[in-house]
Amino acid sequence: MVTVTIDSKQIEVPEGTTVLRAAQSSGIHIPTLCDHPKLTPYGGCRLCLVEVEGARTLQPSCTMPVSNNMVIHTDTQKVLDARKFVLTLIFSERNHFCPYCQVSGGDCELQNSAYDEGMTHWPLSPNFQPYPVDASHPYIIMENNRCILCRRCVRACGELVGNYTLGFEERGAKSLLVADTGVALGESTCISCGTCVQVCPTGALIDRWSAYHGHDTQADTTQTICVGCSVGCGIDVLTRDNNLVKINGNWDAEINGGVICKLGRFDAMEEKCDRIATPLVRKDGALKAATWEEAIAAAANGLKSAGMNSAEIAAVISTRQPVETLSAFKQLFGGKLGSTNLTTLEEGEFTRSTAKLAEESGKAFEGKLADLKAADSILVLGADLVSYHEVVGFFTKRAVPAGTKLLVVDTKENELDRLANKALKAGKGSIEDTLNALTAAVVKLGLAKGKTAVKAGDLDALASKTGLKSEEYLDAAFVIASGEKPVILVENGVLPAAIADFAELIDARIISVKGNANSLAASQLKLENPLNFKASKVAFIVLGDDDASQKMIKDVEKVPFKIVQATYASALTANADVVLPSTNWLEQGGHYLNLDGHLQQAHRAITPAEEIMTAEESLTALASKLGFTLENSWEKELQQRVSSVVLE
Amino acid sequence: MGKPKVSTDWLAGCAGCHMSLLDMDERLATVLELADLRSSPITDLKEPDESGVDVGILEGGINNSANKEVAERMRSRCKILVALGDCAVFGGVPAMRNFFTIEESLRRAYVEAESVDESGKIPDDPELAVPMKVHALQDIVPVDVFVPGCPPDADTIFYVLAELAQGRIPEIKGDKLHWH
Amino acid sequence: MKAFRSMVLVSSDPLSIERGANEVYQVLQKEIKGFGLQDEISLTMVGDVGRHDSSPLVIVYPEAVVYGPVKPEDVHFLVEEHLYKGRIASEFQAPARELTGRIAWLSARKGTLPAEQRIVLERAGIIDPDSIDDYLIHDGYQALVKALTEMKPADIFTVLEKSGLRGRGGAGFPTGSKWKFVAKAPGNKKYVICNADESEPGTFKDRLILEGDPHSIIEALTIAAYAVGADEGYIYIRGEYGLAQERLSKAIEQAHEMGFLGKNLMGTDFNFELHVHGGAGAYICGEETALIESIEGKRGEPRARPPYPTTHGLWGKPTLVNNVETLANVPPILRHGAEWYRSFGTPSSPGTKVYTILGNVNVTGLIEVPMGITLREVISIYAKGMKHGAAFKLAQTGGSSGSIIPASLQDTPMDFDSFSKAGVALGSGALLICDEETCVVDLAKSLVNFFRKESCGKCNPCRIGTQRIYEILTNISEGTGRMSDLDDLKVLNENLYQLSNCGLGQTAGAPIRDILNYFRAEVEAHIRLKVCPMGICPMSGKKI
Repeated sequence: MVTVTIDSKQIEVPEGTTVLRAAQSSGIHIPTLCDHPKLTPYGGCRLCLVEVEGARTLQPSCTMPVSNNMVIHTDTQKVLDARKFVLTLIFSERNHFCPYCQVSGGDCELQNSAYDEGMTHWPLSPNFQPYPVDASHPYIIMENNRCILCRRCVRACGELVGNYTLGFEERGAKSLLVADTGVALGESTCISCGTCVQVCPTGALIDRWSAYHGHDTQADTTQTICVGCSVGCGIDVLTRDNNLVKINGNWDAEINGGVICKLGRFDAMEEKCDRIATPLVRKDGALKAATWEEAIAAAANGLKSAGMNSAEIAAVISTRQPVETLSAFKQLFGGKLGSTNLTTLEEGEFTRSTAKLAEESGKAFEGKLADLKAADSILVLGADLVSYHEVVGFFTKRAVPAGTKLLVVDTKENELDRLANKALKAGKGSIEDTLNALTAAVVKLGLAKGKTAVKAGDLDALASKTGLKSEEYLDAAFVIASGEKPVILVENGVLPAAIADFAELIDARIISVKGNANSLAASQLKLENPLNFKASKVAFIVLGDDDASQKMIKDVEKVPFKIVQATYASALTANADVVLPSTNWLEQGGHYLNLDGHLQQAHRAITPAEEIMTAEESLTALASKLGFTLENSWEKELQQRVSSVVLE
Repeated sequence: MGKPKVSTDWLAGCAGCHMSLLDMDERLATVLELADLRSSPITDLKEPDESGVDVGILEGGINNSANKEVAERMRSRCKILVALGDCAVFGGVPAMRNFFTIEESLRRAYVEAESVDESGKIPDDPELAVPMKVHALQDIVPVDVFVPGCPPDADTIFYVLAELAQGRIPEIKGDKLHWH
Repeated sequence: MKAFRSMVLVSSDPLSIERGANEVYQVLQKEIKGFGLQDEISLTMVGDVGRHDSSPLVIVYPEAVVYGPVKPEDVHFLVEEHLYKGRIASEFQAPARELTGRIAWLSARKGTLPAEQRIVLERAGIIDPDSIDDYLIHDGYQALVKALTEMKPADIFTVLEKSGLRGRGGAGFPTGSKWKFVAKAPGNKKYVICNADESEPGTFKDRLILEGDPHSIIEALTIAAYAVGADEGYIYIRGEYGLAQERLSKAIEQAHEMGFLGKNLMGTDFNFELHVHGGAGAYICGEETALIESIEGKRGEPRARPPYPTTHGLWGKPTLVNNVETLANVPPILRHGAEWYRSFGTPSSPGTKVYTILGNVNVTGLIEVPMGITLREVISIYAKGMKHGAAFKLAQTGGSSGSIIPASLQDTPMDFDSFSKAGVALGSGALLICDEETCVVDLAKSLVNFFRKESCGKCNPCRIGTQRIYEILTNISEGTGRMSDLDDLKVLNENLYQLSNCGLGQTAGAPIRDILNYFRAEVEAHIRLKVCPMGICPMSGKKI
């Protein structure tokens, strides 16, 4: 700890703390523009300059580390003049015309800073040089006239997302924010995660879906989690008059630390399908609007027509539903109605093998996302982290430039290949064969930390079985096994014991990316059987705002009576006999168990229309119509089975 | 000392700032008690007294030779010059045309605009003022008080006038300070 | 090793090449062979040896006779007369001039005027830069052998500190102290870097060392690495210096072969690897932290300091960054000792300084002279006076670390302390000498234009400030300036100094400060009278 004096206030902070953070920790405000708590300090805007006693010139507090007995002044005339001067220069550089800017009036950090310094005008006039506006991107508009060149977006794109799309071309006054090598943003390598928009202090990067829908500062913010995949990112949902304005990443969220992907940020902004607004019941061959009483009665009658304690009732639920709903679903159809044909839309595809392995060994064997952040070598094993579970992909991509070694083993092209220190593409053989050859290579290199029956001498034979040369495996083995904290990322729940053995050999943590937001919870509730409508007389599908596969839509057609609980109209609802309107994910709360066992609560951000119920509410209503009472016992149910990850 | 003399005029703007001035409703009476309102676009007298006034208020930016003349005349006849509203302070919405050439802007307005038929042509009467790049007031003449806002609130304008009438230079900050 | 009786050098600066230096070289080769002299005479293309009015030059050692301009058809006669018969062909000699190039050093000076003193340019233009043997005969690698076998790092610091060597890149930081900081910095992995990104306007002193004596830099860097505990080094060479990059790369190969680089040097456990890294044309990469970023493969932008490179440099490791000229001083100091070094220059700034003289003078080029000579001496002795006998008005000392020196300061000794006392700066060693017909507004405008274009764009004050200054100066030079512009300029300059991140921004406004300090009336004439007194500024009435 070192002692510093800021504005005659003595404070103690750990060594290495910057002056800015030290001041903030003791409640002293220093204005900033290029600073962002999640990004490496840059020192470009110079707004945070302070007077450090003994220093020749003013010092940027964001990059200046404290030293013992340092004396700092943040409010001298010299500092105040400097701030005003910096702002004067910024306003003279490009075209900051507040009356017609989306962020003016609270959301603009530049404008707020100017107000704080009492700037009534611009002492130096801009020269009205126009700068390019890039509106080629489906979600993001890049408005260089409002750019202050603070590089927050550039740093976010590189440091947080690992994508390195944004950068600067030219230098000096010609410096210009560009995508890639100066191509249109819409044609660039941008993956539309929108982190750049979230960090932009001005209106230079705006998101076209939320622009002019309301100010962040005036919106209602609900802190919740994204249910787009099993990562479970923390998000802030901004609404105005119960309408969605935008979704931001929650900087304080433990799981994602503020980054979210295109799916999380923009998917909900486009309501692409027809909403089901009232319950529907099929009468005389056609679906007709009905009251909830009529619909619940019709559903109950339908269920009663099937035999209890058999496979005659097929019940399927989406893994986008909270645990509370999964539990109610299981109690009603499994416990009360005794259906033996109970599963999720995923049918346990992403969790079945991990769950089995955990049960066999009697303990959790998977690691945590935090391990990934600390990893010094990563093996991506057949996982596509670019189209789904993107945030896990971000963690991987951003680790590589920081020195983490990356090995990609896949049978097909993997988007991470181009970043990898080594990419293995086995031409033939199974994944076990590849892992065996890799094991032999690890042994041959003397990097094995655990035991194996595989011998170094087997390498050539094992390698040729996969159609690759031994050298390839030696290179690959070195990349992953030379790390002290290796992490293996796998997908699809394809987790043969071989992966666990290999992980033990190199002392690696395994992280398996699962399916939807509550895949793991469904697995804990043992909702993981294969889907089978053959013997079914009644199908009850809790679809919510999920999509059904074409196969399922086809299979379910033959079931005589179909009850679908859904948010949007689809082929499934069109064929149903009873349709119960359901909330979408933003309109309901509940608990979710993410891929590494974090139990998190989602909160309702939008109040649904009166005619719409959550799936849990309508399941409860249905249960009571059938004469059952459902218990609130989901927490216990989650624990009834050994999980592949430690639950938190 | 008698009541301070105040003159106002508008340049390249939308008159919204003067509307906002009128928006102070019954407080106008108070202002008229405190100050002697001389010329103004909303009164009969159109030019500030040659003998000079105490406070000159200008709305709008400067976009042609006529504006420039008005601004320079106001400056030469007043002691304290107030730039009222975003256009006077920054150039405002009219300054958007600075991103195009004057020729392009005129063609857009008089020839290509959706409301113009094929007879549309750029006015070329030599009597007309010569258009120029749109400037903030301070680019052309020194300004003493800046009151930004699009428009500034009636409360702010009342405060500014009341302060000036009582011989003080108003300080625009806090809630009174906004650029939109 | 082959011993030659004579050495023939052909100048190969762009002008010489244009005037047929290559043909001259080829004919020389043929003729030397024709006379059967190929085993006795070495023939080499050298870089720029100055004296452009007589180029291409053919210089014959050991007599140090300079022929020029030489045409291919003269070669036969020259070889026959001088190399075969041993008679100087005086009719082909370049006009006598003792100032530039090797000649000044060879012909001992007489009289009371301070003579050129070559320490860092000792071998440039004399040895074959492509030959490590040649370097070795000229005392090469002796300092390294001495350092590795007889000295501990602490001894090296002591010698350097005693010698009083200060950085020649512009800031004048004591070299011994810098080395010590790096040595003391915690960490096992350390780097040494030679900053050869010489891009200050009008400065080309390092180029001559790099092109003419590449091994001296390798030797100095190896000593530095040994002293500070580094095992890897970089020579960051300006992108435009293609020949220097080639020569250094070749020299590194040769040093490897001879065991001056690599593992277990001189039988010690000291290992050292050296890489050449070419710049890509950005001036700012001469700033040491931007240079480090550039080596790391990032955009060349200066880092925030602290932390300093001495503790957090390349890849975050302690790093020593020294200028070429600074490093070139190290081997001679180690060979001859601190006392010897202190016998040159002034007590607070010992040693020599290499200057590049440019501008309105009779003789331009490179000189290496003891620290502490005056500008008046430089102009009258080395530059042979002002062109056309015009009066001296001012000199600019090169780039962002330099300043404008008015005539009133031309008798101030040119050393770190005297200059800083007078409020001016030594800069990178360029002396741009301007006569009375120079317009200060035009001069400041072109200097600021350079900074404006070369600002990296990272920090607001520099990126925007230089642009605003340039616009204001342009308006003044167009006759549309206002007196209030001078206040704006003053505020801009002061704030640029206070607020900028690196030396470029901090000093980019210095020309403004200087012209307003020394030549205010001339600037005001541009504004008040709308007249450029020198008739140079356009004064077209345009405003930007």
